[in-house]
Amino acid sequence: MNIFDKTWAWFTADGAWTDSGGIFQRLLEHLGYSGLILFFAALIAIPIGLWVGHTGKGENIVVGVTGALRALPTLGLLTLFALWMGLGLTAPVIALVILAISPLLAGVYSGIAAVDPITVDAARAQGMTEWQILTRVELPLAAPLIFGGLRNATLQVIATVTIMAYINLGGLGRYLIDGLAVRDYPRMVAAVVLVAVLALVVDALLALIQRALTSPGTR
Amino acid sequence: MSVLNNAIEFKSVFKTYGDNTVVDNLNLSIPEGKITVFVGPSGCGKTTSLRMINRMVEYTSGTILVNGEDNTARPAHELRRSMGYVLQQAGLMPHRTIVDNISTVPRLNGVSARQAKSQALELLNTVGLDESFAKRYPSQLSGGQAQRVGVARALASESSILLMDEPFSAVDPVVRADLQKELLRLQSTLGRTIIFVTHDMDEAILLGDYVAVFARGGRIAQFGTPEEILREPADDFVASFVGRDRGMRRLTFASGADVPIHPLDAQQTPWQQWQLNVEDGRPAGWRIDDRVIPGGSLFVAGGTLRDALDSVLSSPSGWGVVVNEQGQVLGLLKSDDVLEATERERLNRYGVSA
Repeated sequence: MNIFDKTWAWFTADGAWTDSGGIFQRLLEHLGYSGLILFFAALIAIPIGLWVGHTGKGENIVVGVTGALRALPTLGLLTLFALWMGLGLTAPVIALVILAISPLLAGVYSGIAAVDPITVDAARAQGMTEWQILTRVELPLAAPLIFGGLRNATLQVIATVTIMAYINLGGLGRYLIDGLAVRDYPRMVAAVVLVAVLALVVDALLALIQRALTSPGTR
Repeated sequence: MSVLNNAIEFKSVFKTYGDNTVVDNLNLSIPEGKITVFVGPSGCGKTTSLRMINRMVEYTSGTILVNGEDNTARPAHELRRSMGYVLQQAGLMPHRTIVDNISTVPRLNGVSARQAKSQALELLNTVGLDESFAKRYPSQLSGGQAQRVGVARALASESSILLMDEPFSAVDPVVRADLQKELLRLQSTLGRTIIFVTHDMDEAILLGDYVAVFARGGRIAQFGTPEEILREPADDFVASFVGRDRGMRRLTFASGADVPIHPLDAQQTPWQQWQLNVEDGRPAGWRIDDRVIPGGSLFVAGGTLRDALDSVLSSPSGWGVVVNEQGQVLGLLKSDDVLEATERERLNRYGVSA
């Protein structure tokens, strides 16, 4: 049996999907962590991106910070926070939120900043308040770039949540870490396949939502 | 009381950016129900002055009264909703349909979606667009169509005041002429107070009931009717700004109606064999020997003396072609007759008999 046959056998083994610690449970954990991380990242990145994009203040800071955040090694951060705060959910969530902020912030900020200033000027001249300009003009027009940032962040988070297994948490990374420990290579291949497929499916879903939310006038 | 007849009054208004004075002690009363044109070279503060009216630009000192009320008395966004604004580039919202774009201000003012929509459809007709445009998006319109929608959006505010910032300068000359004509037609029924910014003196003369000529440094060099400004420029600056073609421009105010119209064969002499080609009653160039030469500008019967003179000067045969509103040939103008008419107009203007 080659590695692919073995991996297939692993996928089709009795209880591989439904057992405790089976694929369904790990998938749900993986999605749960990812959702939690993206939620906190969005909570921080979206308001800042909107504010900076709308007012044009602090652009240089945003560009610098997103660049710097991108350069941070997530595994190193995870180790640092885990040593500092101990095991548990807090340390990896913070490390991964930092990872996700960068693409999200860049997407929201650049999306808002890229809206044609003439359109904004016209909206203001018609008598829209700043809040109305932001929510009714800039956000809809920035939607494609904001979604670009969100999809980018989502892909990175789903791929990187695997490292949470490194500090004894769940998720699809479990198969990778445990497989490595006992040299069960088919299990590791399965983990990689599962993470990749999950990332692609979620990205496709986001693409559909993006399409539904983007005005036909700007497609 | 002048306050009652003036829609907008500037009182000692200044706008400075640091040491740079953009608007210098502006005092101006803009009469209600008329088109007032701000004209001047670029950088003269005309657009800034316009944008101070609805506080898109905040002035440094002075007062601007809108319908007798200080324009800082209420929040800027409310003030802006109370007057229409047309920009150089239509500035439509690309993610909204045409009908939604037109409904912007009524919707902000809390008019129901249904009512705003039916009003927007009416306005499409008002600005000469078919209702089939309603569901389209701005990217599907030509520049001229977008600008018409921009005008419709400004009219939707139902305010008595319309601010227009070089609205027709980004469209091609043919479309511009159409839009200018359309604006005058609209204004004849709507009677709004329109403040119109342009750098084009011809446009100012054509559209303005009153013209304010701005000079560099943000001061008004002259305010008056177009005819007054052309007849008696207040200073050298105004004279040089209106100077080129001033004599020609003044003919815009004289009617060409009393220039005699000659029959089509009037120009035929044994030594001149120009013949007007007519197809379906419309002029189609001039024929001489075996050649056909495209014709000059056409004089629409009842037009201005300037149009009459131009038709004569631009015609290859030296004879102007007169058409009716439908473009059907009515006859020919003779250059001597047109020159005589300009002479009569000149004597008339100064009350001197021949």
